Amino acid sequence: MPPGYPKVYPKGKPRRMSLDAVADFFYFGFRNLRKQLSIAVLDMGAVAVLWLLMNYVIIRFSTGQIGYTLVPWWIFGVGVVEAAALWESFGRSFGHRVERLELRRTDGREPTLKQRVLYWLLWHVSVLPLFPLLLVPSPHERGSGLELRPFTMEGRVPRPWWRTSTGIYVAWLMGAALTAAISVTISWEDLVRLFTRAGTTAKFWRSFFSPDTSIILKTIRELVVTVFMAMTATSFAVLVAVPLSFLAARNLMRGVVGRFIYTVIRVTMSIIRSIEPVVWAIFFLVWVGAKLAPFAGVLALFVHSVSDLTKLYAERLESIDPGLIEAIAATGANRLQILRYAVIPQIVNPYISFTLYRWDINIRMATVVGMVGGGGIGQALFFYLTGNLWKQAGTVMLFIIALVWGIDYLSAKLRAKLA
Amino acid sequence: MAEPYLVVEHLTKVYERGHVVALKDVSFEVQKGEFLVIIGLSGSGKSTLLRCINRLIEPTKGRIFIDGVEITKLSPRQMRKFRRKIGMIFQHFNLIKRATVMTNVLTGRLGYNPTWRTLLGLFPRSDRELALKNLERVGLLEKAYVRADELSGGQQQRVGIARALMQQPELLLADEPVSALDPATSHSVMQYIEQMNREDGVTVLASLHFLSLARRYGTRIIALRDGELVFDGLPEEIDDRKFKEIYGEEAEEVEVR
Repeated sequence: MPPGYPKVYPKGKPRRMSLDAVADFFYFGFRNLRKQLSIAVLDMGAVAVLWLLMNYVIIRFSTGQIGYTLVPWWIFGVGVVEAAALWESFGRSFGHRVERLELRRTDGREPTLKQRVLYWLLWHVSVLPLFPLLLVPSPHERGSGLELRPFTMEGRVPRPWWRTSTGIYVAWLMGAALTAAISVTISWEDLVRLFTRAGTTAKFWRSFFSPDTSIILKTIRELVVTVFMAMTATSFAVLVAVPLSFLAARNLMRGVVGRFIYTVIRVTMSIIRSIEPVVWAIFFLVWVGAKLAPFAGVLALFVHSVSDLTKLYAERLESIDPGLIEAIAATGANRLQILRYAVIPQIVNPYISFTLYRWDINIRMATVVGMVGGGGIGQALFFYLTGNLWKQAGTVMLFIIALVWGIDYLSAKLRAKLA
Repeated sequence: MAEPYLVVEHLTKVYERGHVVALKDVSFEVQKGEFLVIIGLSGSGKSTLLRCINRLIEPTKGRIFIDGVEITKLSPRQMRKFRRKIGMIFQHFNLIKRATVMTNVLTGRLGYNPTWRTLLGLFPRSDRELALKNLERVGLLEKAYVRADELSGGQQQRVGIARALMQQPELLLADEPVSALDPATSHSVMQYIEQMNREDGVTVLASLHFLSLARRYGTRIIALRDGELVFDGLPEEIDDRKFKEIYGEEAEEVEVR
């Protein structure tokens, strides 16, 4: 056992082969497995990403083609595993850093080279088959007389960031990533076009400043529809998200069943949230038919808002002060009373604030959703743009800017009041 | 000697499968009307001990009797009812920050009123009158309709005391009630607790950081070190040697006046 994790038994150490001892074996075994595996996975991941990135950049620059590795895939696999093993045995690896650990002798001193070599060799029989990690200490630790200890700065000289290994790693990584990012997204021809073809947008700008006054009334009507879409979606989303948020708050959902419900809701919500409202709008247009355009848009915004609000609400619930719950419980209050006097006072203002914020987002989203046929002003804009009716499109855009700016201002003002 | 009011027998609390032992086989008795002070370093188990007594934390092993009732055997429902007689105040006051002082004080009556009434915030007239009386007692009558977070630390703790008074408690648990306060305010708050102890005959269990405060207010002192009871006796019995035993070799005594 590493220091800092004292194994204490109030009733004395359990007897060998007793049920307690078996439970203990698995408890501490899985803790160790999780720790060691997380280090290994982090290191292999880091090596693999770096390798692929570097190869990609090299291939792209040398041949102009898209490729990810210069060597066969099986060599890549073995290489990644071996690099991680060497890194963990002879240095302080990425995984060690994330877990805040370092490799030390059991007496706390710096490992010798012989011990590190032994650790590296035994790493393969210990980490690759996985199950030896259930043993505490694991074979590679026992065999080399080393262990992973919590990292301390004690007895070390602090250095500026560019002289620390972490600083150098991060700087190199950022440099490599940026080079790759630029090389993937921008080509020389793009840059040339950006400057030589600027004149083609003149038609757009001209119409933008000479609005078509004849469609103002129609535009305002569409604007109202858009605001209403956002309102309907937000209101119904709140009704669903408030109860869901209680089921998605980690601190309120204890026990096996609780954790199961928590996980199911959180996972579902993040899946829903990762699909853009525009995609939802297309989905609902197919479902409820194009004739009910604003309705499909409302449904799309509603679904996305529910998942977003549930997450925001639940995170707020997770950060409430447990002290107040204790205090109210200590007076002899029951669950409902605790909810009313300890939980709700802490969440009501943030909830309203999140709701306003989401309404604000929904208005902006409603115009985008409209572009695919979800109704409201977005649909009008799309109609004018595709028909090359630049004047009308410019008018609509002026209205959208005014609306978004107004709502933004209003919701910011209201939220500041609540804070 | 009379039947003790509170009996703690072989109390043990283990968190997280043998990793952290907060209390190790702690046993002691408290007579009715005593002012018992619990001292010890941070993390020695003072807070856990207090929370085991009203079962905000479930003990792992051991029994607790209050007034002859074995509270470690009570169902959650019975325990809620029993908690009405146990007031508690906290280091960080734990008030509803956005609510008025009055509302905060009234929450002390939650256990005595039907749920539906309290959910609507309808407390009976008698409770409101009692709340004003208790606020007057802690010198905060004119602050009754001020928001709790607008008060100073000392005033907030006095609201906490008024809330505990609303329960008309027989026992008061005070978890480091003055650790977040300056020395002058500390004494004022401690005096209100002492007054509860002397005038209303409330048995008090208070954990305190400073030995000087413990000596000044406690009628008896117990000390915890790493979850074990290392001292149980009168305040004047703690000499230099005992002090080092409780706080460790390197500790120096600091006075709070």
